[in-house]
Amino acid sequence: MAGRIALARTLAALGAGALVLSLATAPVASQTRTDIAVVVHPDVGVENLTLAELRRILLGDREFWPSGVRVTLLIRAPIARERDAAIKNICEMTEAQFRQHWIGKVFRAESPGGPKIVYSTEMALDQVARTPGAITFVEAGLAGRNAKIVKIDGRSPGQSGYRMK
Amino acid sequence: MTVREIGSESATRLLRIGICAATLLAVPAPSFAQTTGGGAMPPHDQAPTQTPPDQTDYPRLKIVGFGDITFNSTKYVEGPRNFAEGQFVLHMASALSPRATFFGEVSFTPRIDAGQGSPPATGFNAEIERMILRLDHSDRLKVSFGRYHTPINFWNTAFHHGAWLQTSILRPEMVQFGGRLLPVHFVGALVEGAVPAGGVNLHYQAGIGNGRNTVISRAGDPGDVNSKRALLLTTFARPDAAYGLQVGGSFYLDDISLSTGQQFQEHIVAGHIVWNKETPELIAEVAAIRHEQSVVGPPLWSNAFYVLAAYRLPQFGKLLKPYYRFEHINVNAGDTVFQSVPDLDMSTVGVRYDAAPLVAFKAEYRNWTRGTGSVRNYGGFLQVCFTF
Repeated sequence: MAGRIALARTLAALGAGALVLSLATAPVASQTRTDIAVVVHPDVGVENLTLAELRRILLGDREFWPSGVRVTLLIRAPIARERDAAIKNICEMTEAQFRQHWIGKVFRAESPGGPKIVYSTEMALDQVARTPGAITFVEAGLAGRNAKIVKIDGRSPGQSGYRMK
Repeated sequence: MTVREIGSESATRLLRIGICAATLLAVPAPSFAQTTGGGAMPPHDQAPTQTPPDQTDYPRLKIVGFGDITFNSTKYVEGPRNFAEGQFVLHMASALSPRATFFGEVSFTPRIDAGQGSPPATGFNAEIERMILRLDHSDRLKVSFGRYHTPINFWNTAFHHGAWLQTSILRPEMVQFGGRLLPVHFVGALVEGAVPAGGVNLHYQAGIGNGRNTVISRAGDPGDVNSKRALLLTTFARPDAAYGLQVGGSFYLDDISLSTGQQFQEHIVAGHIVWNKETPELIAEVAAIRHEQSVVGPPLWSNAFYVLAAYRLPQFGKLLKPYYRFEHINVNAGDTVFQSVPDLDMSTVGVRYDAAPLVAFKAEYRNWTRGTGSVRNYGGFLQVCFTF
């Protein structure tokens, strides 16, 4: 997996984005569709987010956790299902609108940078565990026991009415 | 106590608050870094390193550019003819620490009188449009210093110099760069933040700075032209219950000193309502400007507004967005400050075509008059704009 990530980074640097995405997302695409879990760094003192709060985090309107730690948004590259679910279900945007929103956000001097891209579920889980204040989105079945999953509107993945699908 | 004395006291108080806030902000940054293992925020849009970044990762500079080319054809010549280069804009954002960020914006504007000699040669004027150092304490409190686009209306702070970001080819004339109706730039300090307020998401911006220069389209970059500082207060709400809606208002207070030596007090009241989803996109703004000459003369009001309506069509891959904008400017004929600022009634109908994720084409037809008795003008305009 590490080799594939390295290859993905190298190809991304060469501008072969589409090929990178197909390589990086191949294992996920073969999974049965499950709910998308919202995973945060273990030290983030939040157990539940409302849909509106999650949207504000995704759009960069909320930059800090209640503890004062800055939010670091980790999101999969385009085409990944986790990204689509977040952008379409939570932000109610297309990929182009989401991209334009973040270019505008940085241009308006409201944020120093856009979301940080991760290229696989493993990379997302690894980075969210090591980066204080981080939040990411992974297939619920792949989150693992050690991941801290926050509820959305009081519901966990798998429960009826859960919005991140 | 006069209004100006109150304003001056308020200004001093605001300045003190700003300095105190900045001092407070300077404290948590290093302690935050210690508690998070040393500068926890990895760079955005980059593949992460295998070890957490530390303070040596700063600064993290990102540069984004914008450009555009426009083709203009009008019945009567007003503005550029045929092809015209738009502004070439470079925007810089650099995280200096987990809580300190620098933002800069530089533009290169083609002008017919940029060069020296007689007649003046064409060329480009370079301008530092924005230069902002911001210190973040929390979502509720951020303090910044520098040169801003005056945050007293929506368009001026939503789209800045990026033609690609905005739906139409031009900004509304009431906030046109180089225009005189509203102060487009502001040099000073801002305190801003947002509070959830039960889902209303109330944002605020309070600023103190230099007002307009003797050339009122210019900001007081090298220093204020008089001893009275400009004050502004803006609030807007983005309620959770109506995702996409933004409603807000602003108040701006300054003293203007013209090159003739005349002194005027300026009050600006502005409001906006925006539905920023693209199905539809609606932006409406209104501003009223009050000028009162010191000692003599009654207060005179001028006003302006515009309404933009657009809709991204579901067909054609959602690449087409037709739009219509009406704008109106009504300048009080007796207002010395706005002498030679023309009235305006303009309709713009156009369509935006997003040919590529970062490239857009726009086509517009405009029809306008500049006050009673003026000749109606109209024209067609094409633009290709992009970000890189």
